[in-house]
Amino acid sequence: MAKIGSQPALPEPAAVQSMPIDTRGLIRVGARPAFVDYLIQLWDHREFIFYDAKARVQSGNRRDRLGSAWLVLNPVFNGLTFYFIFGVLLGTSRGIENFIGYLIIGVFIFQMSARAITNGARSIQGNRAVIQAFNFPRATLPIAVNVREILAGVPVILAMLVLILLFPPTEAVTPLWLLVIPALFLQTVFNLGVGLILARVISTINDVTHLLSFAMRAWMYGSGVFFSFDQFIENDTVLSIVQLNPLYVVLDIVRDCVLYATLPEWRSWAILSVWGLGVLAVGIVYFWRAEESYGCE
Amino acid sequence: MVANSHAPAGGKGQATVVVDRISMRYRVPSTKAQPEEARGRIRMIKRVLGQTPMVSVQALNEMSLVVERGESVGIVGRNGSGKSTLMRLISGQSAPTSGAVFASSVPVMLGVNAALVPELSGDHNIVLGCLAMGMTRRQIADMFDSIVELSGLEGAIHLPMKSYSAGMASRLRFAIAASVNPEILLIDEALNTGDAQFRERSKSRMDELREKAGTVFLVSHSLETINELCSRVIWIDKGDLLMDGKPKEVTETYADFARNLSKGNGFSAAKLRDDARRNLIATKVLERSPGRRSA
Repeated sequence: MAKIGSQPALPEPAAVQSMPIDTRGLIRVGARPAFVDYLIQLWDHREFIFYDAKARVQSGNRRDRLGSAWLVLNPVFNGLTFYFIFGVLLGTSRGIENFIGYLIIGVFIFQMSARAITNGARSIQGNRAVIQAFNFPRATLPIAVNVREILAGVPVILAMLVLILLFPPTEAVTPLWLLVIPALFLQTVFNLGVGLILARVISTINDVTHLLSFAMRAWMYGSGVFFSFDQFIENDTVLSIVQLNPLYVVLDIVRDCVLYATLPEWRSWAILSVWGLGVLAVGIVYFWRAEESYGCE
Repeated sequence: MVANSHAPAGGKGQATVVVDRISMRYRVPSTKAQPEEARGRIRMIKRVLGQTPMVSVQALNEMSLVVERGESVGIVGRNGSGKSTLMRLISGQSAPTSGAVFASSVPVMLGVNAALVPELSGDHNIVLGCLAMGMTRRQIADMFDSIVELSGLEGAIHLPMKSYSAGMASRLRFAIAASVNPEILLIDEALNTGDAQFRERSKSRMDELREKAGTVFLVSHSLETINELCSRVIWIDKGDLLMDGKPKEVTETYADFARNLSKGNGFSAAKLRDDARRNLIATKVLERSPGRRSA
């Protein structure tokens, strides 16, 4: 093995003594626990997860003068831009009932996923100092990001509903609005799964962070945030494939409940549940398998 | 065999830390012109992408150690000899390139480098760090005041950590890490950067922890400290284990070596080093657990 600053070889040691060691009762330092033990450890660190989430929500927008108001202002400005370009200039609003409400839901809900996935993906790379300082199950970090997004998302969702009530045509508040909660829960489960997968990828291949913003933009165009697929896609097969997109399904469910007072189809729930639980299961196993490597640069 | 009177007979004592054939190699970018090893397309692509060539740095050559309950092991060596790398491997902060470290419980390293979560205030970092180490909220509430006191941050504890000076941040990190009573304790004093007042306070806390801990590893540039606190000392040079024995013997040889080097007597120094290595009794770990026999 060539070394930097080569030096003459050292003499061999005088002797080698063999030491029989009983490795029962000893654990390998930094070893990845068995999967079930890992889940138990995650549960034991729930207070860490919640504390991390809470502390970072409070400190998140401290640099801005308007502070947490940006959580709401951001999608509002986004929505305004889309409204003028797509709604007024290009006229994608034709044929959509209550386009403003349609757009508000699209922008607000999509933004929640975009934030959760992007932040979850960076949670390992951005927390090396904590990872190297303490021994704890690393999956707590992406989980904490998603808890943080839920905490930050509650006022955002309330603002979204208020905006929908403010703009005409005014929608009636129905018990169906409550179905928004399970839809958003499944959305969060899905976000966490994607975040876990990306967090592992980015911890070794940092280049993926550069692709992430493009991927999220493409995903947004593919999720019917400010137009309806029904007008543009004639082919039924293509349409049904596009409608398998989990984020599109979330938007569809929320719009059905809030705007159109329709009970979402069971098929939508099934698609969303399969995506959410499936991706989470894949994500947690995939993340756990590299548990030992996250401390390295 | 004479130099190693500490060596346990056949592992009768209870081994708490077993270092089994570990080595460590880093791959780092280098600005030095490289020999034409990677010719052709890959090299071209790398140059276009502005990638600096990577070189391997061998930080630690293969070594094994067995440390038992009640032992305090001092580690001496020049800067860059691999002391801190060895400590990082034992504490599990980095994974070795080859080999493994086994321990009877989670080793805790008292280092003092780096900040934690820069956006959060000092008190939030305390709670977060303690939760990460698995403490309960009640334990944290009990320890909180003593952590703040040890860190000496007083009013600044409510400011975000990114506003701290390097010394303040490292004091806080030390205070958090020192709040648990670990069975296996690693202390890297070479990194200690606190002012005189903090050094006094941290020393008393370290003494307290050291007394409670079953096994201690200590890196220090003060041979006096090592002689005073350790029951066994190892000397590492350029990633090689040179000596492993009684504190007085090892520190004297090492001091001799360092003195020769600083006077420019490279030849005498090299002879001391080679002699030490020639007398070393290296260790080979044999697994004894049923069904997991190593060849």
